[in-house]
Amino acid sequence: MDAVTYPNLKVIDFLQNKLVPLQLGSNAEPYASDYGVKWTPNLLIIDAEGKVYHRAVGFIPPLEFIPWLLLGMGKASFEKDNFTEALECFERVITEYSFSNSAPEAIYFRGVSQYKSTHQPDGLKKAYQLLQERYTGSEWAKRAYPYWLLP
Amino acid sequence: MPDKVQWVLDYKESLAKAKSEGKFVFLDFFNPQ
Repeated sequence: MDAVTYPNLKVIDFLQNKLVPLQLGSNAEPYASDYGVKWTPNLLIIDAEGKVYHRAVGFIPPLEFIPWLLLGMGKASFEKDNFTEALECFERVITEYSFSNSAPEAIYFRGVSQYKSTHQPDGLKKAYQLLQERYTGSEWAKRAYPYWLLP
Repeated sequence: MPDKVQWVLDYKESLAKAKSEGKFVFLDFFNPQ
């Protein structure tokens, strides 16, 4: 990550402006034990209370990294019932980083966020349709499968 | 814009900064060796 991803100018800009970037050694106790760190790099999105919302183990290249961060920020906002901010994050992943590994999960959670904020099933049905069209066979297309039954 | 990531290196400081700025924290546990 230090050699390839973190020197990327877009990554620097994103980390400095959208998040608080914290780097700890895997020997930094009690934090490494508290977060169950067994291997590095161990990458997490946490809130101001230290709660974990998104996690990855292993290298993430620059083109995948920003959508991965956006997905994590969206999931954190979703968990906090801040659906407006969550939807902004998921929308960016879907429109700006449709090639990324994070896009199918962003489509799924955009649909869920739309449902949670409107109580209308349209978002869930659209998520199912889009995942079937663009990411058929993906884990998230399978998870959305029951939504095709919605009225 | 800085030419490299300006990391916070203290856990509690990062949480306080996140709270005051209304942001989330990106935490990278790295191999120190």
